[in-house]
Amino acid sequence: MTATLPSPRSGGLAAANGLALRSLRNIRRLPSAFIPALLMPVVQVISFSGTYAGVTDIPGFPTDRSINWYLPLAVTMGASFAGLGTGFAMIRDLESGFYDRLRMAPTSRRALLLGPFLAAWTRAMIAVVLVSLIGLALGARPVGNPATPLLMFVAALGMATVGTGWGLGLAYRFRDMRAAAIMQLTLFLGLFLTDAQTPIEIIDGWLEPVATWNPLTRILHLARQGFVEGFDPRDTIIGVVVMVVLGIGSVAFALTGLARLDD
Amino acid sequence: MTSPILASGLVRTFGSGDDEVRAVDGVDLEVHAGEVFGFLGPNGAGKSTTVRMLTTLLRPTGGSARVAGFDVVTEADSVRRNIGVALQDAAIDPLMTGEELLRLQAVLYGLPRSEHTSRANELLERVGLSSAGSRRVGTYSGGMRRRLDLALSLIHEPSVLFLDEPTTGLDPMSRMALWDEIRRLNREGTTVLLTTQYLEEADQLADRVAIIDNGRIVREGAPEQLKAGVGSPTLFVRVATDQEASASDVLARFGELRPTAEGMLGVGLNGGAGEVSAVVRALDERGIAVDHLELSAPSLDDVFAEATGHRLEGAESPAGA
Repeated sequence: MTATLPSPRSGGLAAANGLALRSLRNIRRLPSAFIPALLMPVVQVISFSGTYAGVTDIPGFPTDRSINWYLPLAVTMGASFAGLGTGFAMIRDLESGFYDRLRMAPTSRRALLLGPFLAAWTRAMIAVVLVSLIGLALGARPVGNPATPLLMFVAALGMATVGTGWGLGLAYRFRDMRAAAIMQLTLFLGLFLTDAQTPIEIIDGWLEPVATWNPLTRILHLARQGFVEGFDPRDTIIGVVVMVVLGIGSVAFALTGLARLDD
Repeated sequence: MTSPILASGLVRTFGSGDDEVRAVDGVDLEVHAGEVFGFLGPNGAGKSTTVRMLTTLLRPTGGSARVAGFDVVTEADSVRRNIGVALQDAAIDPLMTGEELLRLQAVLYGLPRSEHTSRANELLERVGLSSAGSRRVGTYSGGMRRRLDLALSLIHEPSVLFLDEPTTGLDPMSRMALWDEIRRLNREGTTVLLTTQYLEEADQLADRVAIIDNGRIVREGAPEQLKAGVGSPTLFVRVATDQEASASDVLARFGELRPTAEGMLGVGLNGGAGEVSAVVRALDERGIAVDHLELSAPSLDDVFAEATGHRLEGAESPAGA
């Protein structure tokens, strides 16, 4: 009585879409799981640009608008936390056993992974657009080439990818809420140990070399070009390369974690 | 024709060194096409771990298994395409509706898009959830979730169905309804492997059963055949605690003493049910007051007790009888 299924690993993309749709539908049904990740960058862009408005008076600060400095940080942070949100959702699915149902389906493992990534990219874009609109309303103004601010969206997608891969990889490895704490702590540290608050040239002490070598600093520089320094081919190339390498690394981290679920 | 489920020396360990736990310890299993096979054992015996290996969720540490003709490790995708699984805890997203879950399942199993809705409706009707299909699963009762879980496992009309303790926690009516559905599926040609800790469930549904304890299969065969192997009926006697030792001496004259629940003595009556009155007289002659007396025809619990030296935990009737 077995039905004939279309192909040995049927409908990979359709399966990924189905999983992404489920995740996005749950934004409406469980808003408490999404709103914090959305509010955090909004609060950040509002509070940082106000609290640290005087930062622009520091000699050598590259912009006279504090919001121009903090908006790209809030956007990349919001995108990466939208990615982590899929990691939290994965923990819920693993703990409830729902993920076993997905693993028992004859769907490729890549499709099982692509679904959360599609959802994360969509969630990230919701956060990015909202934060950008609020930033613009608060006085952020693009600089240089009109297309350069788009690099902030590229960086946001990259950070969403990194956050998703990192979140999923940890969820698959720990399979419980311990992963959530590690996800948040490491990403916060990773982003704040950059030139998040002030330019590297102004930073003194141990943070200066840490921020210089922190790869996330390069992604922040990519995001800031449209609001701080204008287009810089070198920063763009370095930022994109770092983003791609981290993205591939985080996807590999997630894939190997998924394979470990069988052990 | 190959058996749809075939396992040889299946082993699964967890942890390592001194902490190593051998959850499944060399299980050999052959389930024939078209039968309902009961996998009976107490909690922690290794039933669910075995099912997780057979359904490709867990890699075996040793041994091999083929399901629907495919190796569970090297041909996992082919196995998945041919099996339906309803796991012990009905793992269903409470935020989704029954219809949404069935449609997602149809997508995951690669059914043509045009069939998603019709197949979902057909299965909802089959398990009696048509009117609840558009409701979120979080509002379902335990029995409704089990029925939906069964429907989900049938989305691609699998030839082999794994049901891991499908009636645990259900009320008697829901259990009966699920039993009827399992029988119906089996009549339609589906091979069913059913794990259970309920003796009556195995007795009612299974063509053959395997009894597992501490990761090993200790008995396997048709329920009637296994019960016949135990032979004599068991007489259960409860006496005052300070008279248990002398009562045991008396009972031992009539047959082999059998494991029982605490506070109870049991003996397999070599001479059959006709010896009950002789037992009562003998106890009376020794001045032993009998609080409770019960004669039980050989059951799967007797088979379990004979094979393992202890009674099955939670072996009460699932129907609440």
